Amino acid sequence: MNTQTRRLVLAGIVSLSLVAVACSDDKTAETTTTPAASSTDAPVVTEAPVKLEATLDASGATFPKTYYEEAIAAFTEANSGVTINYAGGGSGKGRQDLADGIVAFAGTDGTIKDADLAGYKGGEVLYFPTVVAPITVSYNLSGVDGLQLSPTTIAKIFQRQITKWNDAAIAAENTGVTLPDTAITVVHRSDSSGTTGNFTKFLEKSVGKDKGAIWTLGTDSTVQWAADTQAGEGNAGVAQIVKSTDGAIGYVDFSDATDGGLQMASIENAAGKFVAPSLEGASAAAAGAKIADNLTYSAIWADGDAAYPIAAQTWIIAYKVQTDAAKGEALKAFLKFILTDGQTLASTVNYAPLPAELATKALAQLDTLQIG
Amino acid sequence: MTAINTSSPSPDTSSVTGNDIATLERGLHASGGSADRAFKSTAYLAGGLVLLVLGLVTYTMVNRSTDAWSHMGLDFFTSRTWNPPEQVYGILSYIFGTVYTACIALVISVPLSLGIALFITQVAPRWLQRTMTYVIDLLAVVPSVVFGLWGVLVLSVHIKGFYTWMSSTFDGVPVLGSVFGPNPQGRSFFTAGIILAVMITPIIVSLSREVIQTTPQNEKEAALALGATRWEMIRGAVLPHSKGGLVGAVMLGLGRAMGETIAVALVIGSATGRIGLNVFAGGNSMPAVITAEWGEADVLKKSALIAMAVTLFVMTILVNVIATTVVNRSMKKTRGI
Amino acid sequence: MSTTLNRVGAEQLALDLRTKRSWRSTKSQLMVALMFLAFIVILIPLIAVIGTVVSKGAGIVFRDFPAWFTKGIPGRTRVVGPGMGPAIIGTLVITGAASLLAIPLGILGAVYLHEYGRQSKPAQVVRFLSNVMTGVPSIVMGLFVYVIFTLRFGLSGVGGSLALACLMLPVVIRSTEEMLRLVPDHLREASYALGTRKGRTVLTIVLPSALPGVVSGCLLAVARAAGETAPLLFTIGLITKKANLNIFSGANTTLSAQIFRNAGEVLPGPQERGWGAAFTLVAIAFLFTIIARLVTSAYQKRR
Repeated sequence: MNTQTRRLVLAGIVSLSLVAVACSDDKTAETTTTPAASSTDAPVVTEAPVKLEATLDASGATFPKTYYEEAIAAFTEANSGVTINYAGGGSGKGRQDLADGIVAFAGTDGTIKDADLAGYKGGEVLYFPTVVAPITVSYNLSGVDGLQLSPTTIAKIFQRQITKWNDAAIAAENTGVTLPDTAITVVHRSDSSGTTGNFTKFLEKSVGKDKGAIWTLGTDSTVQWAADTQAGEGNAGVAQIVKSTDGAIGYVDFSDATDGGLQMASIENAAGKFVAPSLEGASAAAAGAKIADNLTYSAIWADGDAAYPIAAQTWIIAYKVQTDAAKGEALKAFLKFILTDGQTLASTVNYAPLPAELATKALAQLDTLQIG
Repeated sequence: MTAINTSSPSPDTSSVTGNDIATLERGLHASGGSADRAFKSTAYLAGGLVLLVLGLVTYTMVNRSTDAWSHMGLDFFTSRTWNPPEQVYGILSYIFGTVYTACIALVISVPLSLGIALFITQVAPRWLQRTMTYVIDLLAVVPSVVFGLWGVLVLSVHIKGFYTWMSSTFDGVPVLGSVFGPNPQGRSFFTAGIILAVMITPIIVSLSREVIQTTPQNEKEAALALGATRWEMIRGAVLPHSKGGLVGAVMLGLGRAMGETIAVALVIGSATGRIGLNVFAGGNSMPAVITAEWGEADVLKKSALIAMAVTLFVMTILVNVIATTVVNRSMKKTRGI
Repeated sequence: MSTTLNRVGAEQLALDLRTKRSWRSTKSQLMVALMFLAFIVILIPLIAVIGTVVSKGAGIVFRDFPAWFTKGIPGRTRVVGPGMGPAIIGTLVITGAASLLAIPLGILGAVYLHEYGRQSKPAQVVRFLSNVMTGVPSIVMGLFVYVIFTLRFGLSGVGGSLALACLMLPVVIRSTEEMLRLVPDHLREASYALGTRKGRTVLTIVLPSALPGVVSGCLLAVARAAGETAPLLFTIGLITKKANLNIFSGANTTLSAQIFRNAGEVLPGPQERGWGAAFTLVAIAFLFTIIARLVTSAYQKRR
């Protein structure tokens, strides 16, 4: 008897760790049953009008993040069964996550390179344009508001060829402004970013290889910045460094720059006019853009006196074939919301809605989404 | 946990009576007991777990990084060009940043730590010893991400004035002029170094304390009896005695500093390709790059980032192995085993 | 005491004690002052960090008192207002699961080292490697778990727990072995003399008498694990703003992750939440440390 109890005691305590782990198993098993139970309810509910039940994970561009968060909040208020997590992380992360199939959709400000298409596990990818907005050239120079900068000067600043704010080139574009002797701190993105892609595309198109080769870094979601620069993660990260650093300059989305109270430069556009970043300027740029069949387009360096030269487009990308029916329905409803009622939310958080023609095309494309 | 360690463990006694116990145990084992055997084998398995985990870490990580090695060859270490769109992955500048920030941290932390450890062990009265130990250990409890938050939102903003003053003071002075170089940034090697110094100080202090406390009391008393002042006693008896162990303690701090991720990622400035003496310039370190670029990495880039982690792993393990060996040896010597 | 000793002839010393005593004692006092100064210097960042965290964070946490703990993280990053509930739950659950894995295994590992392996070659190797393992950077552990676990099973809280457990394991082993070493051998001998088998001796005699020390060491390891961020980046995903009690599937979030995210924001709302999360996390870590200290001091008093 003695040995038996002893064995029991020993075995009991020895397997303490296993029991403990098993306990946690039980606990979580309980909690898993709750959502599971509610999702088994879902088919019953679908007999009623459409009760959407799904959790959509998403990541990607930080440029439209403020707008997406606003749209998600409004959409999920109306559809309480849907949870959407938009994580940001940069366009590059969004595209990679979609390729790996770990998100339901991704935000991106740039298109997928042909070479990368093969890596997309879920097959064909659809582009849904969502909003348009200016990329600002924001700076921190107390007392100097409304700075005017040409693409040439911007290119030289970001390539560290102009390193002082009172440089002759900047002074020449800002007559009557007293510029301080402050050193320039260039701030760019540390992550793979559509904002970087569009900003460098602006410089490539205006003063790049074919236009005097002043800008030599090319255009991509990451480029080879000089080593004596600073980088922040996401648009907010760049905005944070610009805001806290005297003499800093960086490229930031209009919404974060406005909310963060940053100073924004007026940029010389293709027509030779200096234009301050504004939603009207972005809309003007997008209106004339040539739209490809897959709804990709570029509003960068657009023609027209009123067009802001660094107006960036942005897309939500998703697989054409949605294998999970619940998620597919939720995604479709969300995209529909963004392309219709959600468009009116855009200007409340400093984004410009899509040109009407483009929104119509996007809605038509939404119908091609295959669910199940 | 270090505070408890110091209550003089006595391996001497255990080794003396160890034989007797072993004899007793052998007698008991003879009588069997399956539960007893089960317990024993569970304990052995748990012990083996350390080997298993370390082995698996080494194997899987090296395995996953082979793509990057074969793609880049030796350039992986010798090139400072990190250009993911072109699939060029050279990590030289990140190795530099990792080592440089860790060195800055040591330069700041070592004198402070040794001073504190000596004060606690040789000067402070008993009540103050305990208070000081608690206070220093508090530093170790603050999570690194909290240091990072403070570093990025407070320190890096307010310290720029000091950097500018240093930079202009040392302008034109040989060597120091390029170390405290021009165009200082709030987020820089130096800011990262400061944060790291604060983080490794409790580690170095607690180990140094242990090492210093192994100095035999009679040697210290002999020095004092010969008329040495307190400092002369420290220099003549304590320091020579614990030199080896102190080197080990400092190296453990170095290893910790090289591996620190989050705090550094937030304050180092994230500039690519930076190799230079200027401590006030922004740069980047290996763990910070892995953190920032992991999410967007495709297959080859993930492999390159893992290869970078392997490099970091090997560097920190080497430092740690040397440090542990040095500490063990000096402890053994001083305990007279 | 030292003053009387100092009067004894200083001529024949190995140390050069022939210089004037007044200068030597001034120098000694100067060095002692410098040592104390070092302590003051390190207090500056400690006070600055904790002071800022408390002054900026405590206000946020208590401004909307229960809401900070009960509400979710706001979906709109830009808004000002409370909600860290999911991250607090995430921290507790993920760290808790890590502790359930690491503490029993770590204690058993220490039992192996001190009760079975002792000074044998394999035990020495394990002891050495577990010392070395404490130095493995946390980011390497995170990537390791990503490769062996997350790649196969996807983002989940358990991945984070595994990474944290790997980091805790050597710490628990080390501190527990130190404690087992303090258990006097005559207790073991007495137990054997009564015919008790070794496993039972360890469980009923050795571990209970080392328990307070073991508990305190484990609590400190838990406090440190709760603050880890880097290994979680790869394993739990950080993206969710809603509570996810199911650590076996789906993205999760923790306080440390939220601090990291909000540290890179420019607007006051998210920055406030960052400070609030920092205050909460530091409070949790300090709480564990204080409990550990109390356990230790109660133990020492008893002895």
